[in-house]
Amino acid sequence: MRQLLQIRGLRKQYGKHMAVDGVDLNVNRGEIVVIMGPSGCGKSTMIRCINRLTEPDAGEILLDGKSILNLDDQALREFRRTVGFVFQQFNLIARLSVLDNVMFHLVMAGIPRVQAEARARNALARVGLAGSEHKNPGSLSGGEQQRVGIARALASNPQLMLWDEPTASLDPILIGEVLDVMEELVQTTNTTSIIVTHEVGFALKVADRIILMDKGKIVEEGSPKAIFADPKSEVGRKYRRLIAS
Amino acid sequence: MLRFFRDGLYRDYLILILVTIIAGAAVSSGIAWAVDSYFGDTIQDMIGDNGEYDLILHIRETSEEATLRELERIAQQQYPGAAVAKTISLAGQANYLFGFPQEAKTAATFSRLPSIFNAVPGLSSYTVIVEPSVLIRGVHPSVSDTLQQRFNQIDGVKFAFKDGKNMLIVLESADHSKTVMNEARQILKEYQVLEVRFPMGIDVDVQATGDTVMQLLKQEYPKTELVNVSSAEYGEELDALMKTLVEMRHFLLSYASKVKIQLRAGSNLVVGEQILVQGSSSQALVPGEAAAPDHVVIEILEVTGDQAQGMIVSGSVAAQGGAVTQPGYKYASDNKVGQPVGQVQIENERYRLNYAIEESLRLLTELDELSVEAAVAVERADQVLTTFQEALMQLEVLQVQMQQLNKGLVENGVQSTGEQLIVSLFLNGLLKNIAKGGTETPGEFDLDQLENLDIASMRSSLSNIAEQIGSIQGIDVQAIIDQITDIRDSLPELDDEEIGKSVHLVDNYIAGQVIPGERIQILVEHGPIDEEAVEPLIRSRLKNQYLNLYSIAAGTVNPDTRTEVFRILKEVRATIAGIVSIAVVGIFLMLDHATVFSTLKWFRANQKQRRRGFARLLNPVVLFSAVVGMVILAATYVLSNAAIPYISAMTVAAIGLGLGIVIGTFSEKFSPVRADEIMAGLALGLSNTQIMHEIVIPDSRPGLLNLLNRTKQKF
Ligand SMILES: Nc1ncnc2c1ncn2[C@@H]1O[C@H](COP(=O)(O)OP(=O)(O)OP(=O)(O)O)[C@@H](O)[C@H]1O
Ligand SMILES: [Mg+2]
Repeated sequence: MRQLLQIRGLRKQYGKHMAVDGVDLNVNRGEIVVIMGPSGCGKSTMIRCINRLTEPDAGEILLDGKSILNLDDQALREFRRTVGFVFQQFNLIARLSVLDNVMFHLVMAGIPRVQAEARARNALARVGLAGSEHKNPGSLSGGEQQRVGIARALASNPQLMLWDEPTASLDPILIGEVLDVMEELVQTTNTTSIIVTHEVGFALKVADRIILMDKGKIVEEGSPKAIFADPKSEVGRKYRRLIAS
Repeated sequence: MLRFFRDGLYRDYLILILVTIIAGAAVSSGIAWAVDSYFGDTIQDMIGDNGEYDLILHIRETSEEATLRELERIAQQQYPGAAVAKTISLAGQANYLFGFPQEAKTAATFSRLPSIFNAVPGLSSYTVIVEPSVLIRGVHPSVSDTLQQRFNQIDGVKFAFKDGKNMLIVLESADHSKTVMNEARQILKEYQVLEVRFPMGIDVDVQATGDTVMQLLKQEYPKTELVNVSSAEYGEELDALMKTLVEMRHFLLSYASKVKIQLRAGSNLVVGEQILVQGSSSQALVPGEAAAPDHVVIEILEVTGDQAQGMIVSGSVAAQGGAVTQPGYKYASDNKVGQPVGQVQIENERYRLNYAIEESLRLLTELDELSVEAAVAVERADQVLTTFQEALMQLEVLQVQMQQLNKGLVENGVQSTGEQLIVSLFLNGLLKNIAKGGTETPGEFDLDQLENLDIASMRSSLSNIAEQIGSIQGIDVQAIIDQITDIRDSLPELDDEEIGKSVHLVDNYIAGQVIPGERIQILVEHGPIDEEAVEPLIRSRLKNQYLNLYSIAAGTVNPDTRTEVFRILKEVRATIAGIVSIAVVGIFLMLDHATVFSTLKWFRANQKQRRRGFARLLNPVVLFSAVVGMVILAATYVLSNAAIPYISAMTVAAIGLGLGIVIGTFSEKFSPVRADEIMAGLALGLSNTQIMHEIVIPDSRPGLLNLLNRTKQKF
């Protein structure tokens, strides 16, 4: 089966406001999908619905053909362990060291400490943070913190990686190092990824497909070339102007 | 919401609640116990061991040294073996303990406490702490004597004594405390003091109004016995003085001249008015003329129908021997004689008494003299009889001779000589004279009559008389005379005018004393009277809608001072425990439970369910926190034996509920949620329990929750 993820008629409403208004999306195994769109168009809401950090109001989400919306608590947790999530704000546990941040959920999941630590060290090495294991996240730069966040997601060997604007809260000089790590990872691991980002260059480089959203709806989708060569949507045209400038 | 606890977290939370309760109870009862034992020790220091001391003497601190010397003197000289100790000083007052030796612990000792300690310098007051005892507070003075007697008869009572408004029943042992208290209560129930209280500013004639009220009560409750005790409250001493004054007034009036006025039709006199009579004045009373200074002025005391009574306030009827009946006239204000009012009869027992004494003195003196004279007379009579007897015998001889002579004369022939005839006539006359002269017919001479005189019985009568006279002389008449003279001399030399002034004085004093007429107190026996039922009746009878009727107990039973102090201490302990448990539970809710509430709220906000109805108004987490607060506080309160006066169990539960609501509502203020970390935990597939143990609790404030979490926390 090629399709890993199927989303149908997804809806999420906050009060009277439709944050996600009927999204249909299929993602193939190994595919890199980049989601772009103006602020507040519902990208984060949608991506959070995928691992049920946000509970959708309506619609269907299938992973490997199985609905994830009616999983019980235990199954939901097991499912989440197979999905890596990278937050815009890193969301590290401030109290724990870098190493513990990366390995503690493995231990919680029942993996012996030794193995967990090995996997954590490995993940840290892959994001270029070998040697910083015992540092406190608070003492790291934003870029390094986000790389810890990426390592943490990687450590559980996810079948799906969800990235919610991982560079949006970084200084422009730090964005590069994170994007480099991301690019490297995406291209080498072949993990199915859904990436929300405003980095057009990065999107053009790594995306198999770009999806444009506006006001809770998908307004356009296609290969990077196709989308920016001849955008059909208002949002697409705006992005093209951005690339041209 | 409760789903949150499903993966085993409920067990943790239940443990937290239990630990909170136990810790809360431990802290609050611990603090309360510490306070309790601190004060307990202080009080022990203050009033000594049970039964060791009987009194606390409160002394002004300035005179301490002299005080101690005097107390020690009392202890050594008057009560050898007495215990004296100084205890803590409070508010500028030193306090000394005094314990009588065992044998001196008697009713007699305790009822003269003021006189025992009156020489103690600086003594301002004292508190009786004799033990074991039962204290009767607020004993109504009208029943204190009766109660004292009855309390004395209760089993296990050593004696009872009055201490100001209280009465102390000293027990043989503390074991009797309960039974004596019960019996004393029973006895007190038999008496009731009803108080009729009038609105401010109304003065009531306590006696007359009291009588009216009692009449009414007696009608309604015929079985009761009622006594007007309105003045009993003013203390027994004042009462005694009043009684004396009333007696004195009575005596004075009985000593004064009795003035009765038979009123003329149409002359109306009022009590307090004055009238005039002439008395012994030379100046007659003429209406319209000025009154003379020696006219008698009478004040009217009583008027009944056409009779009036009064007393002399000026002038005197002594000159008339204390009994006068004269016309009376009104005494106008301008010192003028007014219209006639009727016939005034003045009688003075005192003057009569004086007269009687004078008379009897005279009589007695005469009697004395008379008896002497009589004795002399009897003696003389006796001599007369003897002479008489002798004379009679000679007469008999004479008679015989004369008869012989007569015979001889007659027998010697008809022709008797003239000489013989003359002798015969002479003899006849002589005989007649002797035999109680005045015999009807001269010439007829009856000597037999003389012979028939019973000289012997005359003699025995005479000796009887002599004897009686002798016994009169035996009485010491002079002593009697002296006695009566004494009595006469010791009679007060008061005249009516002075008596009148004195009565006025007494009246003024009595009137001045019976001021507080705003209330009437009536002692009720064989009641009780239902004051609420009777109040409207009294209101309508006295025509005053604003008076109130209260029922006052004749006294209330309290345990002795130590028991009382320790009871209060226990109350204080329970109150402290209560306040501390509220505070401690509040703190625990803030430190520990607020974290749970915040997390619950965050999870709930992240759920997809739409809020329906009730849940839209009130966050179920707040409801949950309210219940938790209530359960924890109620349990802590009960476990720490807390009891705050006037706060019921319901109120405590409500306070717990309130604490829970406040802390639930503002839980984020006390314990903010790190949403990003929780979110990460969720995304990483952690369970709620794991999120709590590894993310939420370690970040929260140190407290019970943190402590309990130590064993669970892996990182
Ligand atoms: N928890 C929430 N409660 C209420 N409204 C929310 C919540 N989360 C998101 N929204 C609203 O839903 C809409 C979509 O938000 P979302 O964060 O998905 O947008 P976004 O496309 O990720 O924007 P950005 O580029 O700023 O991250 C926005 O209008 C936002 O204000
Ligand atoms: Mg977003």
